[in-house]
Amino acid sequence: MKRSTPYLLLAPALLFTGFILLFPLVQNLLNSLMHMTLGRGGTSWSGLENYSRVLSDGLFWLAFRNTVAYAVAGTVAALLLGLGFAVVLNARIGKFTDIMAFFYSIPWVVSPVVAGFAWKWLLNDSFGIFNEWLTSWGIVREDVNWLGDPRTALLCVAVARIWQFYPFAMVMFLAGLQCIPQEQYEAAEVDGATALRKFFHITIPNLRYVTAVLLLLGVIWSFNDFNMVFVMTRGGPINSSMVLPVLVREYSFVYFDVGKGSALSILVFAMLFLLSFLYLRVLTRSDAA
Amino acid sequence: MRLKYAAMLLIAMCFLSCSRTSDVVEVQFWNFGGMPKFLDWIRKQVQVYNNTHPKVRVVLGEKSWHQIREILYAGFSAGAGPDIMTLHADHAAEFGAGGYFYPLNNFPDFEQVKQRFEPNIMESTRYNGNYYGLPSSAIVFILVCNKQLFDAEGIAPPRTWSQFREAAKRLTKDLDGDGAVDQYGLVLLGGDKGGFSYRLAPLMMRAGVKIMSNDVTKFEFNSPRGVATVKLLADMHQIDHSVTPGFLAYTLSEINDLFCSNKVAMSIEGPWFQQLVEDKNPGKEFYTVPVPVPDDLVDQYKTLPSLQDMVMYPISAHSKHLTETWEFLKYIRSAEADMLYIDHKTGGLPTTIQVLNSPENAKRKAWDVYDNEIRHSTPWPAHPHIIPIVKNILAPYGQKAIIGEMTPQDAMDAAVNEAYALLEEGR
Repeated sequence: MKRSTPYLLLAPALLFTGFILLFPLVQNLLNSLMHMTLGRGGTSWSGLENYSRVLSDGLFWLAFRNTVAYAVAGTVAALLLGLGFAVVLNARIGKFTDIMAFFYSIPWVVSPVVAGFAWKWLLNDSFGIFNEWLTSWGIVREDVNWLGDPRTALLCVAVARIWQFYPFAMVMFLAGLQCIPQEQYEAAEVDGATALRKFFHITIPNLRYVTAVLLLLGVIWSFNDFNMVFVMTRGGPINSSMVLPVLVREYSFVYFDVGKGSALSILVFAMLFLLSFLYLRVLTRSDAA
Repeated sequence: MRLKYAAMLLIAMCFLSCSRTSDVVEVQFWNFGGMPKFLDWIRKQVQVYNNTHPKVRVVLGEKSWHQIREILYAGFSAGAGPDIMTLHADHAAEFGAGGYFYPLNNFPDFEQVKQRFEPNIMESTRYNGNYYGLPSSAIVFILVCNKQLFDAEGIAPPRTWSQFREAAKRLTKDLDGDGAVDQYGLVLLGGDKGGFSYRLAPLMMRAGVKIMSNDVTKFEFNSPRGVATVKLLADMHQIDHSVTPGFLAYTLSEINDLFCSNKVAMSIEGPWFQQLVEDKNPGKEFYTVPVPVPDDLVDQYKTLPSLQDMVMYPISAHSKHLTETWEFLKYIRSAEADMLYIDHKTGGLPTTIQVLNSPENAKRKAWDVYDNEIRHSTPWPAHPHIIPIVKNILAPYGQKAIIGEMTPQDAMDAAVNEAYALLEEGR
């Protein structure tokens, strides 16, 4: 085999990857350094001015806070829920464990757009089933204005996100639980450990890498989540549920300020790159362990 | 030998494919959105035109209404845009200023064609002295009043702000006595920033407010009348509680559901609403009246302008077939073609003088109201950045004032300042 053969064989894949990954990234980086507004014509070099405009925009900081809250709190809640279901399924209580595992997993396979519309209707203040239940059970007297109230809109989207992400966490935790050596539990039983102590001193430590991976993946995916927020609230009402991916769209395709939109997307990329780097570090350590 | 034959075959194929160029001119026509009735019609029109004009082939592309600007900018930037398209007239200034549209007044017979259209509607296509499109269908914003609820309460549709506020208050009710409100006086479309600004502006305009000065250099929606308009809605929401509390999340679909299920009594809508209601609740009736005016302007009830919007047909400045495209445009915007819009199922109103004055059109439901309103209506100011400004600045600040996050005066002042800042940034 010639020395060049492996490179020739790799070339199509590299070219394809370069075209769909590197070209848009480099182009986006260049756009972020230009004054570029569709419709007004012409482009000119702007240096870091677009970045400065993004960072001095109050809406960016609101969207940043919302994104962090949405990603971190949503992921942590989904992990806790996923862990709870995984523990129950792992205990194989009752005959229908496998059927229940199937049903618990359904949210993960539903398209985010479909899920978003479904949640939007479930939470509708006049016709939604949640308000119907709450009023008929006497929990609230007036219909709750879930998505139309700036104080609750982001929370509602986060709940929908938790509902969609927890099955993935559950499956991962279940796999992790099934890998814990039974001898550890048997030894703990001999020592007279209670179920709670076994959970905190055997189960949780054995799941730490799975938890770290899930936490990072959940934060990365939520940080990048456009569909659920856009379908349910479009970042409203009055920007109260604005998150960074939706703001990129606002800058780029509502104001057509491509330079500013590109600068924001590069900032989001940098944040996600950092998180991905951490994720890879955790994976490497996990493999080594 | 085999290689030789293959090479000869390839060369022959190249010659065959290059030797004869087609003498049929292809005109790309991108249509954005439209009610089913309109879509059926436009497909047939294109087919008939192609059959009767063998030297021209119009290729119809059907695109999403929701992404007009994105699709057009992407197409124009890539040099692959259409020759002719449908577009909101409020984009005439934006795309005209960008050099994307061809000034139709450059065609020698333009003045003659222009005479077909209602002058007030035709003006919507004008920017900087040039006309950038021929009107297709027009809309004007009016107030729809749920007939069943108004009749049950024994009140007439409102003409003035005080009647409007009073009607909304009286029609906000706890019907089953459980202490919770089941029916509201007014619903506002707040879940879509564009949709909200298109509801706030008619109220402002009917109060005599100009969104921008005549020379489009100053914003005027923070004038005393502009602030009073926002205060009216804020008082109805915060003091009377007669506006649906969840309005900030509503799109047109939710408004239609609420209206058809008698959960709301009034909404600011347009000619498309008739068909939406018919689809959802056949036989449901409602009053169509002009948007209310301030009490002291009631003598101008018939003449104060509401917001006019219009779909137009512009021609791309980069079209290589300007003459053929212009001929096709004149064909689909003839008075005969305009007869389509006497049917409310299209969601729009006619725009040619001949059809507006036709006896067939006079039979249209609520035509007396639409006829008067469309002739007095005003479009958005002809400024290239007006749409981003009203959608992203006027709408959120208006909403903040209505729910009480800001006072109406502070909100409108802040909106005006932000609008100037946006223009400054654009420069």
